[in-house]
Amino acid sequence: MIRKLKPAAFLLPSFIVILGVILFPLAYALFISFINLTKNVHKLDNPKLWDYVGFENFGKVLGDDAFWQALGRTFYFTFTSVGLEFIIGMAFALILNEKFKGRGFVRGFMLIPWAFPTIVNAVLWKWLYDADHGTITMLLDWIGLTDGPVNLLGSSFSAMNAIIVADVWKNTAFVSLILLAAMQSLPKEAYEAGMIDGASAVRRFFSITLPLLSPAILVALVMRTMEAFKVFDIIYIMTGGGPAGGTQVLSFLTYQSSMMFGKFSYGSALAFVMSFFIVIFAFIYIKIFYKRAD
Amino acid sequence: MKKIAIGAMATCLVGGLLTACGGNDTTDNAASGASGSAPASGSEVETIRVLSSDDFAGFRESAIAEFNAKYPNIKVELEHVAYDQLHDKELASFNASGNAAYDVVDVDEIWTSEYANAGFILPVTDRYTDEMKKGILPASLQIASLDNEIYGVPMFNDVVFFYYNQEMLQKAGYDHPPATWDEFTEMSKALQEKKVTAGAASAWGFSANEGLVAYFAEFLGSHGGSFFNEAGEPTFNDEKGVQALQYMKDSLDNGTIDKASINYNDRQVLDAFKNGKTAFVAGWSFYWGELNAADSKVKDKIRVGLVPAVDGAPHTAATGSMYLAITPQSKHEEAAWKFIEFLGSKEMQKKQSLEAGALPIWKDLYSDADLQANYGALTDMAKQLESVISRPSLDGYNEFSKALQIDIQAALTGKESAKAALDDAAAQAKELIANG
Repeated sequence: MIRKLKPAAFLLPSFIVILGVILFPLAYALFISFINLTKNVHKLDNPKLWDYVGFENFGKVLGDDAFWQALGRTFYFTFTSVGLEFIIGMAFALILNEKFKGRGFVRGFMLIPWAFPTIVNAVLWKWLYDADHGTITMLLDWIGLTDGPVNLLGSSFSAMNAIIVADVWKNTAFVSLILLAAMQSLPKEAYEAGMIDGASAVRRFFSITLPLLSPAILVALVMRTMEAFKVFDIIYIMTGGGPAGGTQVLSFLTYQSSMMFGKFSYGSALAFVMSFFIVIFAFIYIKIFYKRAD
Repeated sequence: MKKIAIGAMATCLVGGLLTACGGNDTTDNAASGASGSAPASGSEVETIRVLSSDDFAGFRESAIAEFNAKYPNIKVELEHVAYDQLHDKELASFNASGNAAYDVVDVDEIWTSEYANAGFILPVTDRYTDEMKKGILPASLQIASLDNEIYGVPMFNDVVFFYYNQEMLQKAGYDHPPATWDEFTEMSKALQEKKVTAGAASAWGFSANEGLVAYFAEFLGSHGGSFFNEAGEPTFNDEKGVQALQYMKDSLDNGTIDKASINYNDRQVLDAFKNGKTAFVAGWSFYWGELNAADSKVKDKIRVGLVPAVDGAPHTAATGSMYLAITPQSKHEEAAWKFIEFLGSKEMQKKQSLEAGALPIWKDLYSDADLQANYGALTDMAKQLESVISRPSLDGYNEFSKALQIDIQAALTGKESAKAALDDAAAQAKELIANG
């Protein structure tokens, strides 16, 4: 009996921690999304005041134009930034996998943007884009791409793309790192056989490297997609959702509903709808890549 | 034995976490924003936690030291955050207890309706002395009042003042500040043409923040417009409102004002002005203290003028006063009241004016000889206070404000016409009011 209980006793502390910091808040948020909790927070103390509204909050989310617009922006942000990060990250990984002088230095150097906290990254890029003193603004003007200094964060569309550039700059290193690590463990024999059979470098990449990298690509894409879908801090700092609401993504809308307007139930429902999309993404990725790996 | 110890530690840790969320008193807290005057030994020491905006935090910290000399048994922990984060942090804290709750919070006039109706702040009408009721400016009491109750003690009397750099204007050949918006445009061009300013002559805080609504209010009022009529219907989308917004957009487009304005907030525009890069800035009263601080490049060169206006319209400035209020979560109401009463007292209000440049809430301080001698802008500022416009105090003010910010920016960036943008904001305002 004691023998059987011993492992459980050892697991208990960590279970309590998980319960306290993950399961309880999650269940609590889910509960809030099914009642009507607004600014009158004292409701929570008294179960009689919990007016259970079922899926009403979820219905409100799905019926809200602001939600669909924010969803569109979130998709745009996610696919553009993750797509660019994947392509550039793969190119970096391929280059860094070759032997050349100073490779160790370049490999280390590449990681610097990733080591920056997002907040620092956001402030840095905000200044680079500054319409009066920004380096990028000046550079674009100098090479003649723009007619005079242009305020890149000044209109909805260019602000969104400017943020994507900042995000790609920071997170590409993460993708390269994962791909590079996986490339180094690929079997040399497959490449030798390919070369003997006369396969070109391009053919070797598509027929050997890519399929063998599938598990690593899966990890990189799932993690980056989830993170990009949840993007908040870089937008909060760089544009605050502006100009004209053009960079309001789902996380921002969630924050705004709960923390600014005090509509806690609506905010919780919004957060769960968002999680639902993330789970779908993860599911699709796993379906695609595990099939290929088999 | 070791195992048990570790297990016990883990349980304590988790237990500690849970009780921290469960709400116990905070008298054991060591960190203090106040300078540490030692509490008298032997008697009970009460700790009150205060959340304040950054703007007058420096003065408040020094005031706490004085407060402690008077009330050694009350310890004050002052926490301060940037204004743009203040509301959200407070809203979260009203839901919390223990170390996440505050006894005293800093409230902007536009939040009165929201906070008071939700029961986030306590009425203090009964605590007001007759001296306070009679001596404090009615306009100041007004901002902290709702339905015959007063919810706190106003800390200063604030509007978005129009500051100008006299030396720069003189260099460009002007001996007076612009009286009309046309003159403002003309002077801005001249300042730039004569290379007195390297870039645009002024920067404004038009980013998606509360400051944008205050600036819009300023343009709206000085074009003869208003937010709502007596019946509570939106009027800011009438002809005058459209003119005001159109003027803001045109000024951005033709370089009268810095086009980066759309990324700045109402705190960031101070820097360029303080470093002598711009000739005009519209900002709160705390700018005065900053502009005349030792590190300011424009010390003693700054004057306060009336906000320009179109012909026939009043020179209105947008109000934005704040007050300190007590929360129902507080277990030290008495101590909290003593603290805010102390900061609102005539003595401290005078000191605050002298040291930090805030306008006092007491009527007779405006004729105080010391203040008039030491505070160059007092007379000019008092003149501006005669003509003001307030943002509407609505229950769902923040939602209204966010919608308005988005629409104003849509017009400023050319996504929508000024008329369409304001119509949209007015429609949303109606809907918000209808839904309570």
